[in-house]
Amino acid sequence: MPKDLTVKDASKWFDSRGQQVIALDRASLSLPAGGFGAIIGPSGCGKSTLLRMVADIIAPSAGSILVGNEPPSAARLEHAIGFVFQSATLLPWRSVRENVALPLAIVGKRSKRVAKRTPDELIELVGLQGFEDALPAQLSGGMQQRVSIARALVLAPDILLLDEPFGALDEITRQRMNLELLRIWAEASTTALLVTHSIDEAVFMADSVFVMSPRPGRISQVVDVPLPRPRTLQMMSSQLFFDTVNRVREGLYGIDAQETVGLTADAPAVVQ
Amino acid sequence: MLLLELAKHTGYLPVTVPAPSQVWGALLANPRGIGLALGETTMNAIRGYAVAVVVALGAAFIAAFVAALRPTIYNLGVGLSSIPLIAATPLLALWLGNGPLTRSLIAGLASYFPLLVGAMQGFRSYEANHMELFHVYSASRWRVFRFLILPSSLPYLFTGFKLAAPLAVLGSLTAELTGAENGIGVLMLNALFNFDIKMVWLTVLVACAMSGAGYAIWALIERLTIYWEAPSNSSS
Repeated sequence: MPKDLTVKDASKWFDSRGQQVIALDRASLSLPAGGFGAIIGPSGCGKSTLLRMVADIIAPSAGSILVGNEPPSAARLEHAIGFVFQSATLLPWRSVRENVALPLAIVGKRSKRVAKRTPDELIELVGLQGFEDALPAQLSGGMQQRVSIARALVLAPDILLLDEPFGALDEITRQRMNLELLRIWAEASTTALLVTHSIDEAVFMADSVFVMSPRPGRISQVVDVPLPRPRTLQMMSSQLFFDTVNRVREGLYGIDAQETVGLTADAPAVVQ
Repeated sequence: MLLLELAKHTGYLPVTVPAPSQVWGALLANPRGIGLALGETTMNAIRGYAVAVVVALGAAFIAAFVAALRPTIYNLGVGLSSIPLIAATPLLALWLGNGPLTRSLIAGLASYFPLLVGAMQGFRSYEANHMELFHVYSASRWRVFRFLILPSSLPYLFTGFKLAAPLAVLGSLTAELTGAENGIGVLMLNALFNFDIKMVWLTVLVACAMSGAGYAIWALIERLTIYWEAPSNSSS
């Protein structure tokens, strides 16, 4: 069952040479069970930090995070979290099938979790049938990332966390992977939280876009996406899409920045 | 070989360098004796090597699980390796008798260090993001070791195995120099005292072959074991 996510005033600070560096300052967000959220912001705004705190990879310095009604550590211990890293993070000595099955092998018989799909079914879901016995080194970057998505789904996670999963892929592959991810997300019935630095991607994928700003990293704005589901590529040329993209862009750069740089709705979001 | 042979017969080589055929002749003169000596030295080397593998990998395994013991284990390893073999041999012979046990232990002492360093480095050579993945799935420490740390360490382990094999041969030979009854080292020493140049060369060549074979066997096992490529940068 998908779980909702509530982050309340989560902060993270590090001590660096006696100085306190605030990576994340009182971030709050909430995502309903089965929802799709996107976090967007420039480098160093703490978006990966926030995602890692939800996954219980790092602990918040202050504030609270609840996955369902539990802290992230409890969700992690019951294997309710699926995580897709920036790089595919496959084990090079395991075949595609063995990589997808890795969480099953790690969890062993301890878990009460029932996998809804076998590794082979998931490999088919991400469109890699025929490559079950291939080694990661034999696959392209896009294919490797699909394997890691299948792996993240094998324990039927209640929440799926994606840290710029397609950041290293070319635009065309990326667009196709996004469509597939939406299809998989709808089928797998899980809550999803995606970190990205592409405005188009955030708006196209999510129900809510959490816009972050740096120094100190914080969530500066929440933009709801009124586009219906299922999303289609045609929607990307609709007025509604442009308007939403603009609202996110305003959140990112502020109205002033937009005027001085002279961005318009259809200009590419290139600044600096 | 042919050039050497020719050079010898035309008198261009000094008396201390025999023709290849002469060395070959020394082998044919006493194949059984040389075979027995070879067996003795090899067995001591293998026994010592086996002990070294168990001790070094065991210590590295403990170090991998108990971070607090890591510096202690490493420093002990360094300390032990700085004992000169030639000095350790008479001591061990005093304590344990001048037999195969002492010579095997010397072979182990000579070879454990690359095994220890290879294993300790190897057990820490996993990628950080792989470890995060195992953390997200709250993997037990044993499964982290079994599924991540051990396979990641294999290239380092094999480097240790390869480097240690010739050292075990060296240790086995060195131990024989301080008074053994049989072994390639004994033959070498006797030949030297008798100024039997053919025999000196033969024993040296046999010793080199043993070291080379030890290395080559592990290189072969490595090639058969590591069937995967190091991950090419997956972000392209």
